[in-house]
Amino acid sequence: MSIKDRLSRAAGGASHADLERRVAELEAEVQECRNVNLRVAELTDLVTQLLVPLASGDQKKVRELVDGYHAGL
Amino acid sequence: MPVTDVRVDDEGIHARSGREVILDVCFDGRRIWSFWLHRDGAALDGGHLVAWPDSLRAFLDGATRLSLNEHGSETPVYDEEVRLGAGEGRISVTDKQGNPLALDKDNRRVKTFAGRSAEHVAPLMDAIDEVITALGKVGIEGFLAYGTLLGAVRGGRLIGHDSDADLGYVSRHSEPADVVLESFRIQRDLTALGYRTTRYSGSAFKILVEESDGSLRGLDVFGGFMRDGHLHLMGEIRAPFERDWIFPLGTATLEGREFPVPADTDRFLSITYGPSWRVPDPAYKFETPRSTARRLSGWFRGIRTSRKEWDRAYASGSFDRGGGPSDLVRWIAEQEPDLGSFVDVGCGRGRDVAAMVAWRGVPALGLDVHGRSFRRQETQHAANDSVRFWTFNLLERRHHAAVAAYTGLALPAHRVVAARHLVDSIAADGEPMARLAELGAALAQGGSGRLYVEILSTWGSDGYPERHRLVRAVDPVEVERALQTAGARVLQRQLVPVSAEPGASVTCRIVADWPSAGSSTGGEA
Repeated sequence: MSIKDRLSRAAGGASHADLERRVAELEAEVQECRNVNLRVAELTDLVTQLLVPLASGDQKKVRELVDGYHAGL
Repeated sequence: MPVTDVRVDDEGIHARSGREVILDVCFDGRRIWSFWLHRDGAALDGGHLVAWPDSLRAFLDGATRLSLNEHGSETPVYDEEVRLGAGEGRISVTDKQGNPLALDKDNRRVKTFAGRSAEHVAPLMDAIDEVITALGKVGIEGFLAYGTLLGAVRGGRLIGHDSDADLGYVSRHSEPADVVLESFRIQRDLTALGYRTTRYSGSAFKILVEESDGSLRGLDVFGGFMRDGHLHLMGEIRAPFERDWIFPLGTATLEGREFPVPADTDRFLSITYGPSWRVPDPAYKFETPRSTARRLSGWFRGIRTSRKEWDRAYASGSFDRGGGPSDLVRWIAEQEPDLGSFVDVGCGRGRDVAAMVAWRGVPALGLDVHGRSFRRQETQHAANDSVRFWTFNLLERRHHAAVAAYTGLALPAHRVVAARHLVDSIAADGEPMARLAELGAALAQGGSGRLYVEILSTWGSDGYPERHRLVRAVDPVEVERALQTAGARVLQRQLVPVSAEPGASVTCRIVADWPSAGSSTGGEA
């Protein structure tokens, strides 16, 4: 039995076009999940490096902190 | 089978070969460019025509002894005096200072290592040394990677046709988000040591090193990690690998100095350049498996959409010089009698910021992804602490956070944020409008200001989009939708033809605000 036939049978007789569509959808969904990594890292970085120190500094220190954070980007 | 029927003219290089060949092009005996005949050429008259790259065309006006060698061979397949363009003198491919230039594998003009003295490469060697030491201080064992490793292992020298240096490291982390955070931290530490850096992705950045002649050389730092029995290394590697094949690091000699390298350089170079890595090939390009590209892109990329085009635009130095403030900023000045501060996102040369400061004397912030674009205005306003120019990447949320924090501290309401030809200069897959709407929401929240967006809505035949290096026309509906998704109220929409000529491009101006809770009354457009 060919791979194509096996795939078709495994998919309950779904058409080739149907399978292609489902694979494309799954790929897009996987990429969405992967994309979250960069976002999580960005948010974690700015919370730990910017927001937490901001909450505890005076105005001058806050300004220095913001300048310093920007310089390191 | 030999290369035959070679012909050189203003279009490019014509040649015929039954098999794929790499050809090195030399002008007066100096290598300028390398290409693959079939891959880079267009089939024509039974052979191939490889057109002159745009980056080289500007120099092709005069005579040269042009030789064409199959790479690795001493015998030229073509060696003739040729005349290109209408110029009388010799063709000279050099920069303004007279430094010899050549094209790299992406056809960018670079000062190559070939012909450079030890004194010239010494600062780069110092930088590699210093960066590896700095990485060590933060617990990272850096090593030579990619072309730099290849040069060291092959012959102890930087590869002549290469133009930058590459370092890699393999993280102890295996989760991509942790690898990214670590890369952020390393970049920050290196900035604190005084290095200029620019980020390429979530796990790679470039360090700019000044050489003895004042030119800047890039040093790329690629983050890697082990996951599922595979080594992943930005930018293109994912291969079955053992940690023991990297650690403990060995050493190799480069330009007379010892540097750390992966424990098994043969295996490492094989997954980078294939098993034939010992044979030189200056036109080599990575053929990344689709699954690897998808993984690395999904985890780490997406912050440099359309960046190459802008790198090229500002590399010329003359792009968008001269001229006065834009019509948009003049219009904003008329619309906003009570301006408290001004932010220009994608400010380019910074003329609109300078104009608003001159007219209204308000604090202002110019943001552009290219620090060199606004250097002149930055210098002119250096004594004015309320005027800042910052490098800023719209596609990185950490940049948004830094700008939002600075805005809260230094830019009083009523705050006007302008974004002129920003969204249309970034390809749609970078989602620039969504990012701009988020930034607008952060800077103009609670009724503290307004966002003015100007986009190209109709791509005309007048050359306007090309002059402004725009990549697409944008549907105003797309802009309004993104603004509304970010909680904005659209106040105005206005179509503005750029001239009265037939075929003129049309721009669209959209004004929005973020009213404080309870005061939203819907659009007035």
